[in-house]
Amino acid sequence: MWIYVFRRLVVMIPTLFGVTVVAFCIMQMAPGDPLEAQLDASGTIGETSMTREAYLIMRRDLKLDRPLLLNFRRFHDYTDSIRQAVFFRGQSTDQIQQQLAELAAASDLPENAARLSFLRSLSIANFDQMLDDPQSHRRLSTMITIGVQLYLEDLGIHGVRAAAAVLRDPQTSDQKRIGAIRAMRLMVVEPFQTSFRRDADPANEPHVMKTWQLWWQRAEPDFPQLNDTRRERLAERFQAMLDLESRSEILDMLERFDRSDMRFFVERLLSDSPLEEKVLAAAALNLYVPNPLRLDVPIDATDEMIQQAAENWLAHYELNRELYEPTLDRKLGYLFLDTQYAHMVWRLITFQFGRSATRTREPVGPRIWSAVLVSAPLMIMAQLIIYLVAVPLGILCAVNRSNSIDRSVSLALFVLYSIPPFVAGMMFLLFFCYGIFFNWFPSLGLHSAGSEDMGWGAWLLDYLWHAFLPVVCLSLFSLAAMAMYSRSSMLEVIGQDYVRTARAKGLSETSVILKHGLRNALIPIITLFAGFLPGMLGGSVLIEVIFGIPGMGRLSFDSILSRDFPTLMALIYINAIVVMVSILLTDLLYVVADPRISFHGRGQR
Amino acid sequence: MAITGEAKRDTGEAYLDIVWKQFKKNRFALGALWALVPVALIALLAPLLASDQPLIYFDGDQILFPWLLALFNPTERVDFAFNMAMLAFAPWMILAWWLNGRWRRRHVPGRTRALRITGLLVLLVVGTILLFSIPAVRPSNPHSHRAFVEEEFRDPDAWGIYTLIPYGPRDQERGSAYQPPLYRKDASDRQRSSEWFPHLLGTDDIGRDVLARMIYGTRISLTIGFLAVGIYLSIGIIVGALAGYFGGLTDMVISRIIEVILLFPSFFLILTLVAMLGPSIYIIMVVIGLTGWPGIARLIRGEVLKQRGNDYVAAARALGGSHLRVLFRHILPNALAPALVAAPFGVASAIVVEAGLSLLGFGVRLPTPTWGILLRLGSGNYNYWWLIVVPSVAIFFTVTVFNLIGSGLRDAMDPRLRM
Repeated sequence: MWIYVFRRLVVMIPTLFGVTVVAFCIMQMAPGDPLEAQLDASGTIGETSMTREAYLIMRRDLKLDRPLLLNFRRFHDYTDSIRQAVFFRGQSTDQIQQQLAELAAASDLPENAARLSFLRSLSIANFDQMLDDPQSHRRLSTMITIGVQLYLEDLGIHGVRAAAAVLRDPQTSDQKRIGAIRAMRLMVVEPFQTSFRRDADPANEPHVMKTWQLWWQRAEPDFPQLNDTRRERLAERFQAMLDLESRSEILDMLERFDRSDMRFFVERLLSDSPLEEKVLAAAALNLYVPNPLRLDVPIDATDEMIQQAAENWLAHYELNRELYEPTLDRKLGYLFLDTQYAHMVWRLITFQFGRSATRTREPVGPRIWSAVLVSAPLMIMAQLIIYLVAVPLGILCAVNRSNSIDRSVSLALFVLYSIPPFVAGMMFLLFFCYGIFFNWFPSLGLHSAGSEDMGWGAWLLDYLWHAFLPVVCLSLFSLAAMAMYSRSSMLEVIGQDYVRTARAKGLSETSVILKHGLRNALIPIITLFAGFLPGMLGGSVLIEVIFGIPGMGRLSFDSILSRDFPTLMALIYINAIVVMVSILLTDLLYVVADPRISFHGRGQR
Repeated sequence: MAITGEAKRDTGEAYLDIVWKQFKKNRFALGALWALVPVALIALLAPLLASDQPLIYFDGDQILFPWLLALFNPTERVDFAFNMAMLAFAPWMILAWWLNGRWRRRHVPGRTRALRITGLLVLLVVGTILLFSIPAVRPSNPHSHRAFVEEEFRDPDAWGIYTLIPYGPRDQERGSAYQPPLYRKDASDRQRSSEWFPHLLGTDDIGRDVLARMIYGTRISLTIGFLAVGIYLSIGIIVGALAGYFGGLTDMVISRIIEVILLFPSFFLILTLVAMLGPSIYIIMVVIGLTGWPGIARLIRGEVLKQRGNDYVAAARALGGSHLRVLFRHILPNALAPALVAAPFGVASAIVVEAGLSLLGFGVRLPTPTWGILLRLGSGNYNYWWLIVVPSVAIFFTVTVFNLIGSGLRDAMDPRLRM
C-alpha cells in the first residue's frame, strides 16, 4: 500500500507543475500594464495612484520586472540606454519640453539621434507625429517622463551597474547625477535594511551595519557625548530589554528612550557585540530615526543633497557588488532561475506566498488561514448534512422502488438538483431574512455584534443560527446529486444475487438492506467525496458573497476583484493540493471499503 | 429496456430511433421537451412580444415601419442573429410544410425528412444572417434615435400600432424606477403613449420593464448555454477521442492536462478568467467552452478505449481505413452517447454560470439584458423582491427543463448510466 501511495505522490509532482503553468498563464493574461493604458488615455498619472501602487507592489513581489522564462539581461550591457534614461530622469517635464524642441530642430546630430532612438524604444504611441507638432510637446514630455519611469522599473536591478558607473564618473554633470540617483531609486526596491527582520538573520548583519554606519558618519556631530551616569543607566535598561521575552514589552521599553540616546545604540551596533544586542540596537535606531539615509533627490536638489545620496548609492553598490557584477557561473544560474516563472514556482514550492497586493499588504499565508478557519466548519457541516441525509434518502427510495414514496422523493430531489445554490440563497434571504416575509434568520455574517462576550453555549447557538442558511445552500445541490446517486447504486445492489441469498437465509429486511446492501452500495458513494470538494470550493464563492461570510470563497472573489495575484496564486495552488490529496484519500478509502479491489496495478491508471 | 434495445438493434433499426422511442416513454422528459418549445419561441420571437418600436407608425404625413427597420439594426449581435432567424422562420414553416407533404407522397422515410427539414432551417437562418450582414443589403434605420412613444403622445395626429408589450429591453423611464409588478403610471403623469400598459413584472433600477428584459434575456441565456456547450463538446470529443485511440504518449500528455484543469474548481477558474478578460457574453461563452472540455474528453476517452478492442475496429483497419477514418467514422459514433447525455446538463450549468457571473458583476455590461443582471440589481436591495423572484424562477425553470431532458436522454441512450 505504501508503495502505491508513494507512486501516486510522485505522479502528483508533474500535475502540480502543470498547475503552476496554468496559474502562470492566468497571470500573464491579466491586462498588461495599467499605467500604460492610462498613458494612452490621458498622458498623465491621475488620482488612480492607488492602483499604481498596488500594481508596483505586485510587480516587485512577483518579480514581474524579470523576463518570463529565460533571463538574458545579465549578459546585456545597458550603458547606452541607461545614459539616456538618466539624462531624461534628471529633468522636469518643462525641461524635457525644451529638449524636445531642440531634438525636433536638429535630429541628425549624432547625440540627438541616440536620444531619439532611445525615446522611440519607449514605444510611446504616435511619437514621431507628436515630435513634429510643437503643440503636443507638453503632452509628449509627460509621456516621456512616465515612459522612462516604466523603462527603469522594468529594467530593475539589471541597470544598476550602468547607473552606478554614471554616478561614479567625476565628469558627470549635476543634472545627470540627479538623474542617476532618481533612476537607482526606481530600479532598486529596498537598497538598505534599517533593522533585522523578525528572525535575526546573520546574513542581514553587514547590510544593517552599513546603513547605520553611513548615517552615523554624517549625523555624529548632532549627537552630544553621553556622560557616564547616563551611559550606565542606558546599559542597564538595555540589558533588561535583552532579558524580556515578549515583543510588545520590548516595544514599550523602546519607546521610553530619547532621540539623544542614539549614540549609545550606534556604539552597541557598530561594536563587536553579539547578534541579539545588534538586533535590539537596530530596532531602537529604526524607531527613533526614520529614513536615516537620503536615497532620493528632487529635480532641483542642492549639491549637498546630491553628494549625500550619491555616496549612499555607491555604498549600496559596493555592498552588493556580487549581485550587480556577477561571475559567469552566477550569470548562467540567473539565466534560468531569475525569471518570473522560476520565482513563482519557488514561492509556491516553499509555501512562502509573500505579501498580498492589497492596500494593507497583509501576508498571504495568515490571510488564507483565517479564511480557512471560517470556511472549513461550514464545509464540514455541509458534508455531514449531505451524507447523513442523502444516503438514507437514497436507500428509502431504493427500498420503495417505484411506489409513491420513491416517486415523490425523487421528484423533490430533482427539483433540488435544479435549483442553483445561489438562487436558493437569494430566495432564502428574501423570504427568511429581510423581514419582508419572515424575519427568522440574520442576513449577513456569521456572528452577531457582541458575540465575543457571550458564553460558549450562547456563542455556539448564535453561530449555528447564522450558519444555518449558508450551510443549507452549500449542501442542497450536492445533497440531491448524492441522494440520486445512492438510490441508483442501492438499486443495483438490491438486484444482486447475494442480496437474494441473504433474504433466502431468512435475515430480516433491515439487516439485508443495512448489512449486505449498504456496505456494497457505499463504495461508489465514497468516490463522490472527492468530486464534491472542488465543486463546493468554487460554488462557495457565490454563497459566501451573498451571505457576507469572510471565508475562502469571499477571499478568492476579493483577490480577483483587486487583482491580488499573490493571494490568487496561493489559493489556486493550495486548492489544487487539497483536491489532489482528497482524490488520493478517496482512492485509498475505496480499497479499504471494497476488498475486491487491490492496489496492484492501480498506480498506472 | 436494455434487452429490447439490443433486440431492436439486431433488426437493423437505427440507434436514434431506439433512443427516441425510449425517450418518449419518459413522461417528464417528453414534457420538458415540449416545455422547451415556448422557451425557444420566446427567444426567437422576442421582438414580436416586446418592443418599444411601433409596428406601424403614422406621424401625420407618412406611414413608417420602425419595428422592421429596428430588427435589422439591434445593439446586440446576438439579437441580430435571432432577429434574422425570426425572419427566416415563417418562410421555413411554409416550405417545410410543403416539402414534407411532397416527400411523404414519394415515401421518403420520416427520419430523412426530419433531417432534411432541419438542414433547411439551418441553411435558411445562416443564409439570412449572412445576407443581411452585408452593409449594402441591410436596411439602415433612420429612426434609431427617435422616440415614437413620446412623439405619439404629444402629437394628436400621430398614431402607432405596437407589439403586445410596448416596452423594449433597453427602454428606460427613470420616473418609474423600482416599481412592483402590475405597476401602471397614473394617467396624469404619463409622458409616453406606451405607458397605458402595465409593467407586468415591474421595473428595474432605471425604470426598464422587467418582463421585456426577461424576454430578451432568454435569447442571451440560450445562446450562452448552447454555444458554450457546443465549443466544449467539440474540443472534448476530438481531444478525448485522440487520447483514447492513440494511447501512449498522446494519452499520457492529454490525461495530465485534463487532470490539471479538473483540479481547478470550474466556477472559480471561469470567474478568474472572465475577470481578467473583461465582461462580454462572447468571452463568457469562450471561457466556459475552454474550461468545460476536460470532463467530456475524459468520458469520450474512456468510451473510445472500450471500443478500440472490438473486432469491428480491426476489420475497419484491415479494410484499409486510415487511423483518422477508423476513429471518427467507426469508433466515435459508438462512443458519443455519454458526451451527448452530458450536453443538456451542460447547457443548464452554463446558464447558471452566466447568471452567477452576472450576479457577481463579472458577467455582461449593464444595458445588455440578462437574467443574472436582474438578480444583481435585486441583490442590492431585497425590498425589490420581483427582481429576485422573476429571474430566479426563470433560471430554475430553464435549468429544470434541460436537466429533465438530460436525464431522459441518459435513460434512453444507455440504461446502464441511469441514476
